[in-house]
Amino acid sequence: MPGNVAERVAWVAERVGRARWIFLPLGLCALVAVGAHAAADVVGDRVLWVVDRVDALFDAVWSSWSFTAPLVEVVGLTQRTWFARAVALLWELAADALIAVPLLGYEQRDPAAEWKLGRELLQRTRSPLRLVRPAATLLVAIAGACSVARTVQGSLHLALHVGWLASLARAGTLVGLLVLLAPRAAFRSLELARTSRYRAAAAVVLVPLMIAAVLSFR
Amino acid sequence: MKSPELAQVTRRLPILELLLCALCLWAGWYHTPAGALVRSVGAWLFGTRSTARPLLAYFGAGTLVPPRIPAMLPGPVPPAQALAYGAAAVLDASPLEVGPQLRATAQRLGSDDAALLAMFCGEEAARYALDEARSPALDDLARALPPRSEACVGRAAQAAMLGGAYALGWPLPESVRITSPFGVREHPLLGAPRFHAGVDLGTVVGTPVRAVGAGVVRRASSDRINGRILVLDHGRGVVTTYCHNDALLVRDGQRVDKGQIVARSGSSGLTTGPHLHYQIDLAGEPVDPLRFRVQHPRTAAGPSD
Repeated sequence: MPGNVAERVAWVAERVGRARWIFLPLGLCALVAVGAHAAADVVGDRVLWVVDRVDALFDAVWSSWSFTAPLVEVVGLTQRTWFARAVALLWELAADALIAVPLLGYEQRDPAAEWKLGRELLQRTRSPLRLVRPAATLLVAIAGACSVARTVQGSLHLALHVGWLASLARAGTLVGLLVLLAPRAAFRSLELARTSRYRAAAAVVLVPLMIAAVLSFR
Repeated sequence: MKSPELAQVTRRLPILELLLCALCLWAGWYHTPAGALVRSVGAWLFGTRSTARPLLAYFGAGTLVPPRIPAMLPGPVPPAQALAYGAAAVLDASPLEVGPQLRATAQRLGSDDAALLAMFCGEEAARYALDEARSPALDDLARALPPRSEACVGRAAQAAMLGGAYALGWPLPESVRITSPFGVREHPLLGAPRFHAGVDLGTVVGTPVRAVGAGVVRRASSDRINGRILVLDHGRGVVTTYCHNDALLVRDGQRVDKGQIVARSGSSGLTTGPHLHYQIDLAGEPVDPLRFRVQHPRTAAGPSD
């Protein structure tokens, strides 16, 4: 190992860099998963409202005929909260499958080359439906960065009782995630956009998630 | 072209990237249902015990878990003391001890929910959550706290839920009799044993039905089983339901006050006669409404559903 501190840091960085192929994809996937949860959680009450409206509509339809009337009790009064949260959970897991899990295939490149390739891909990808996944990935990654930064601040604040240090750590984490990880997540999603399938179905899941992600920013 | 200083910085970036990725994995591991799923599968594969919460408990402030309700109320609950009774029930303490402490903390923090959080998670955590949260509601306060606070937040949510239930009134005059109690019973129309999720209160058509607490109309609709049905959300995981009404006097999304007339009782839906089916749900689980009353209305044979 080299002698002075600067060289030692460079030596450690070089060795850590060799493991980027494993920790970067995992980190990107986790960042987007955290963002998807922050988004799904913040609209939990609205999901419950939608479930109530849909349930009321179906109950009115089932009530039209005596032989379908028992179906009113399929999602009864007591199951609705559970059902609404199950819908939120399925929505979140579907979003994870669509935009977080594919990030595990991220291959690292030089950042400059990545930006150049990203611009080219953006110019070539004309269909709005193809752009839904990269846009959703970027917004959800930003929501994830906000959530991770908040968690870091909360943990440090309550563990060390030093408010300014916790705020500084939050700001540093947020900037780091927004500069180093969120663009990579969007880039990887853009790379996959041209070959992605089930685009309309994905849009149904991801467009509301994009709105929810924006609502969770803070 | 890169300057030598920039090159120096970028050479060290992998350390920062590793740190950021580790933070993302830590947050995802403890803060998301996906993380809980991975933890549970891991625990199952290695035959260990997972500390992950149930997947649905990752939404809201732990209000999915219904609280343990004390068997008997020690006496009438003054409305202003309802939260203290809720906290005392969760802490297994006397409301007389908890009440003054809770009131003093609420005055210091300016919020009842923050005072409850302070009681279970400590005042510093509550102050921090108040500074960081969007609103002083427990759900929002809970979102501002780190993962290690999840257990105490869950207990605070249960206390808030019980407090909310203790503060509820009664939808009909006290003299109205119960014609069918809460619990498993022989269904009067279907003949088979079925779980009755509320109490039936025998009354005449057109009797005013009052909101048992302030809240928002979550549902005002009609179907063949429940008739004209009204669901009120009182917040803190407390929801009340009123079925078989003759007329609903409020609309979806409308805010109602405690004691406001929200419906007229009737015999709509699947019933044997005019009555009100009244139900309380805590965290989505039906509980016996009589558990939150000191004076139990008399029971008598009569119309039911």
